[in-house]
Amino acid sequence: MARKIVVGDQEITIPTFNIGGLAILLLVVGAWFVLSAFYVVGPDEEGVVRRFGKWVRTEPSGLHFKFPYPIEKVDLPKVTQVQEISVGRILKEAKMLTGDENILLVEVRVQYKIKDAAQYLFNIRNVEETIKDATESALRQVIGSHPIDDPLTEKKAEIMDEIQVLLQEMLDHYKCGIDVRQVQLQDVNPPQEVDFAFKDVQSAKEEKEQLINEALGYQNDVIPKARGGAEKLIREAEAYYEERIKRAEGDASKFLSVLAEYRKAKNVTEKRLYLETMEQILPGIEKVILDEKAGNLLNVLPLGNLEGVKKTGVNK
Amino acid sequence: MKSLVIVLIMAAVGLFLSAYTIDETEQGIIIEFGRPVDEPVIEAGLHFKMPWRQLVKFEKRILEYDVQPTAILSLDKKRLEVDNYARWRITDPLKFYRAVRTINGGLSRIDPIVYSEIRVELGKHNLTEIVDKRREKIMEVVTVEARKKLYEYGIDIIDVRIKRADLSQENEKAVFDRMIAERERQAKQYRSEGEEEALKIRAETDKEKTIILAEAYKESQEISGEGDARAVEIYAAAYKSDPDFYEFVRTLEAYKKVIDDKTTLILSINSELFDLMKGKK
Repeated sequence: MARKIVVGDQEITIPTFNIGGLAILLLVVGAWFVLSAFYVVGPDEEGVVRRFGKWVRTEPSGLHFKFPYPIEKVDLPKVTQVQEISVGRILKEAKMLTGDENILLVEVRVQYKIKDAAQYLFNIRNVEETIKDATESALRQVIGSHPIDDPLTEKKAEIMDEIQVLLQEMLDHYKCGIDVRQVQLQDVNPPQEVDFAFKDVQSAKEEKEQLINEALGYQNDVIPKARGGAEKLIREAEAYYEERIKRAEGDASKFLSVLAEYRKAKNVTEKRLYLETMEQILPGIEKVILDEKAGNLLNVLPLGNLEGVKKTGVNK
Repeated sequence: MKSLVIVLIMAAVGLFLSAYTIDETEQGIIIEFGRPVDEPVIEAGLHFKMPWRQLVKFEKRILEYDVQPTAILSLDKKRLEVDNYARWRITDPLKFYRAVRTINGGLSRIDPIVYSEIRVELGKHNLTEIVDKRREKIMEVVTVEARKKLYEYGIDIIDVRIKRADLSQENEKAVFDRMIAERERQAKQYRSEGEEEALKIRAETDKEKTIILAEAYKESQEISGEGDARAVEIYAAAYKSDPDFYEFVRTLEAYKKVIDDKTTLILSINSELFDLMKGKK
């Protein structure tokens, strides 16, 4: 079909594509409808669908259908992703008062993720800033309730738990759909102005340990040696004991056997023993033999030689 | 035919002008020639109004309020730099529209009220109360008071909290001095404790050593004494059988020990040894 119009004296034929044009239009609309109606929710996402601005459903990951824009609209927040903020990187943020009115520098790291996508999207305008503000507030409140030594030493874990609980409470109060996964105290330091004093305490602690260890070293050296010495004394005494008895027994049995012989021939044996002894003693020593009848004893003494004399035995 | 098209077009335009959506994050009021009509629209979704009426939208989400730190004096006269924040929301868009209209307008109402509440309330408490757990109670009072006062603006204060409360410089200096003194005391204590412990251990050690050796001495003396006693007993038992002979033999033994190579022996010719020499007997 064609329409004819007359321009001046000329007749122009204009072809019409009414049906074709409508088809193309329908096709485009149809394609747009299909393309904007299907959407994919990624494995780390949730699909939050709003119809005319009102929340209607939340879809898990996968391929889904919705009414095309402007009827339905979908948001895809990443619900499994753990996000992180740090508070206390700069001095102003880090400096805080402790429960015993000391000043401490604390850096904390908070890990969180979305636990309720609809709350996260609809309830609060600036989630990031809210988490940061709440973290600062919770951190100071908890540190402010503890003496300075708690966060510096073994109570760190307890404090991290307290901050986490308080922060979660605050965020739940705002209904912002955030789950606080972890609160970690990063750096906990005394301010520069007083740092040296804290370091000195540390070295004093070490010095204390060292002194004690040295004393224990002394103990470990002395006691075993003393025990060894004690053992030696006792063993020596035992040896002496045995020696004395054995010697006594030996001497006794020697005496008894000599006695037995002596009794057989008293005089002879006595003489023999005497002479044997003399034979043993006399060969090695200096002797002066004098006859008392011969005169003054002094005349015969070799006085010059007496210096070396230590013992003088005079026969009976 | 023509009039039908016009009617349809007008209906479409009318529909377009009267239909509106409210998002989950929004709320709105309807205004007719500058005058609010009907109830505020809180519920999200598709709504309709008279085409000539105008829609004004407001935030429904929680909003932030954060200001520069301000100087505050605590009850114990300590100067604090307090940095606080508040979370708030528009709960009554109609009141809000009438009183302040915009978010910035709202903030300018919140600011003086929260500031003065904090000043008043912190001024009633000592520094330690402001810093520790009791802070929560104090801030609850501030929140409640501020909430009461902001109610008429259609604003709800969810909470007022202190982010930071730092001491002023001169107070800080005093704290540092105290901290240093405290640590010095601790360091001293550790050092003298170390010495104390070490001395204790050494003294204990010396004591133990002395006792060990003394006990060993005692035991060894007992043992050797016993040995001596037994020996004496054995000797006595043997020598008892002939004391005279024992004396004789023992004397000979003694000679052997007493006389050594350094001895000079003066022998009388009359001694028994020489009897034969002199031709006696």
